[in-house]
Amino acid sequence: MVTVDADVTAAPTSRTPGREAGGPTPGRVLAWACLVVIILITLFPFYWMLRTALSNGTTLATAGSSWLPVDFTWGAFRRVLGLATLEEAQAEGGTGSAVDFWVYLRNSVLVAGLITAGQVFFGALAAYAFARMRWPGRDLVFFVLLTALMVPPIFTQLPNFLLMRDLGLVNTYAGLVLPFFFMTPFAVFFLRQFFLGISREIEEAARLDGAGHVRTFFRIIVPMSWGPITTLALLQYVQAWNEYFWPLLVGSERSVRTLTVALGVFRAQTPQGNPDWPGLMAATLIAALPVLLLFIAFGRKIVDSIGFSGIK
Amino acid sequence: MKRTRRLTVIATAVLVALVPACAAERPPTESGGWDDTGEVTYWMWDANQLPAYQRCATDFEARNPDIDIAIEQVGWDYYWGRMLTSFVANSAPDVFVNHTSKYGDYTSRGLIEPLDELIARDGPDLSQFVEGTGDLWVGDDGKRYGLPKDFDAVGIFYNATMARDAGITPEQMQNLTWNPQDGGTYEDVLARLTVDANGVRGDEPGFDPRNVATYGLGIAYPPGGGSGQTQWSFLTATLGWGHTDRPLWGTRFNYDDPRFQETIAWWRSLVEKGYMPPLEQAVGNELSQLLQAGRVALVTEGSWNISTFAKLGGIEMATAPTPIGPQGFRSAMTNSLADSIAAGSPNKGAAWKWVRYLASPECQSVVAEGGVVVPAIASVVSTAEAAIGAHGLDITPFTRQLREGTAFPYPAAQHAADIDSIMETAMERVMAGSADVSSFTAANEEVNALFTQG
Repeated sequence: MVTVDADVTAAPTSRTPGREAGGPTPGRVLAWACLVVIILITLFPFYWMLRTALSNGTTLATAGSSWLPVDFTWGAFRRVLGLATLEEAQAEGGTGSAVDFWVYLRNSVLVAGLITAGQVFFGALAAYAFARMRWPGRDLVFFVLLTALMVPPIFTQLPNFLLMRDLGLVNTYAGLVLPFFFMTPFAVFFLRQFFLGISREIEEAARLDGAGHVRTFFRIIVPMSWGPITTLALLQYVQAWNEYFWPLLVGSERSVRTLTVALGVFRAQTPQGNPDWPGLMAATLIAALPVLLLFIAFGRKIVDSIGFSGIK
Repeated sequence: MKRTRRLTVIATAVLVALVPACAAERPPTESGGWDDTGEVTYWMWDANQLPAYQRCATDFEARNPDIDIAIEQVGWDYYWGRMLTSFVANSAPDVFVNHTSKYGDYTSRGLIEPLDELIARDGPDLSQFVEGTGDLWVGDDGKRYGLPKDFDAVGIFYNATMARDAGITPEQMQNLTWNPQDGGTYEDVLARLTVDANGVRGDEPGFDPRNVATYGLGIAYPPGGGSGQTQWSFLTATLGWGHTDRPLWGTRFNYDDPRFQETIAWWRSLVEKGYMPPLEQAVGNELSQLLQAGRVALVTEGSWNISTFAKLGGIEMATAPTPIGPQGFRSAMTNSLADSIAAGSPNKGAAWKWVRYLASPECQSVVAEGGVVVPAIASVVSTAEAAIGAHGLDITPFTRQLREGTAFPYPAAQHAADIDSIMETAMERVMAGSADVSSFTAANEEVNALFTQG
């Protein structure tokens, strides 16, 4: 980071004649400096998490403002991954309870994956119906759907919870996934806007070639909208991955517990007790990794697709 | 964290409202059964005690091959929220560690099983428990809802190095006095332990109360709700003040009493004097971390956290009993946890066997050796004291309050959650300096109204 800083500040002095329009003007340098500062500010909490995760829980508070890990140890990561023995964990201020990290990770991947697949598939179908098909009351239904977007999710959680209880689905994957599975107004709205932008001529050409709605949708619309669909999938996956309250209500049992809920094991164990901060930070970092990897893999694509659609 | 916590609080409040509704739909006594085999799920919150209880479970399973014990540990921060959801969802644990401040909510809804008939039939002999611990588990309907497992008391934890540097001897710490006017030697010690940024102590001329490096007394928020268990109840009790009209299941609270209000006024004055951190510096911090960071020198806390304090790296800790009040005696709130059986459990026979084993000398001597808490069975108390002492901190300043008869019980009451929310708000306003202690009189009316409105 420091070297980036140095480069930026050194840039004006290294200005050479014959630069093209892309050269470092004072305005550009200022813009870059601002960007670097913003990036540093954005990254700082992650650094602080890492620094805390590599600290020893029993001595962490002795040097609360230290920039480096306090009493460096990999213990927190070992605890999270279930590699530490009970004695090791407790000696570093960790919990005496077992952490089944891989079970929770599997649950999170499964639940977030199912929710994403369902939402994108059904959302795309609905969006197509709203964008292209003509049927009585379509705009009214779309209006109602958009209104649903305005209802804060907290209002639906408890009725949903009672429904799941009466269906006997509490503490099952089905109970975790179902309320989100079929669609969300956001997914429908998001994709409808893209489908509206696809030119009708292409569709009419397909119709002339004898394709019905189903065929048009799967062979023409979906391949043409691959960018927005991937973007939506990624957004929904991240949201499902981070979902906390619903899994806490219906999926608190060990066998279906997701990572977000499982992180609670690092919080206070007794009244006024001491949370295991290094353990919590290590687990949070590891839990954020899959999402980070997704962004590294698909980030470029998302930017492209959003940029592409924006130009249109 | 703050947001999720608020959500949890909201959801818990709504779920509390839902519990009676479903209890009415499905009377738990009808849904429960008396099988004495199968899997018994057992919930507890203290991860430090988990290894000892796991050993109890293994021993128990060896004696009862038809029963499996599945222990689920849920940290205190989530415990009661999850407990309520699980009762609403009909997936409650068969047996769970219960708390005096919470079980009124469960008995009034018929969610936990009275044990009187079972105890009369199978034992145990209730005289084996430390005096007073069993009484806490007789509800306001006169039925017994749990067998006590351990007990705790409140006392002082302090930074021994800082005390030595301040010239305070351990003997002084063992015999502190207090009164609401000048704070007695307790306030002298707090002043002496306070050091400002220039190294001037709180009792020296030139002390700057607005620029304090180390505060004498630590405080954590919320500051004690309606019970003030570890914060102020040990002071008010030395004035002869009690929370309610009777020790347990009272229906009239006494927050309008001048003795209570002058105690809080004295406590609050420590903030202005610079001996205790103001609200904005204390919110969001744990006492143990403030101690470790050298921000505070002394805290009042429950004995259940003694192993946490003993383990703190980088500082040398010591313990002391609560100060002696103006009437010549000291005092400390004591509480006892118990194991309760869910009324809706299908195998209450097996659950009862497990509860009886948990309250047996066999299991409790294992817990005693674990060195975390002091079991409620009188015969193993000294074993536990020795085991805890081996970790470096003396627990007898806490347990002596029970031996000397200066302990008083946790004021179990109905509407405990409502009382806490009223009093927590009132207390925070006073401690933040935005209300006078006389505002407790109005809060008291609100609390008492909970009982008259039915």
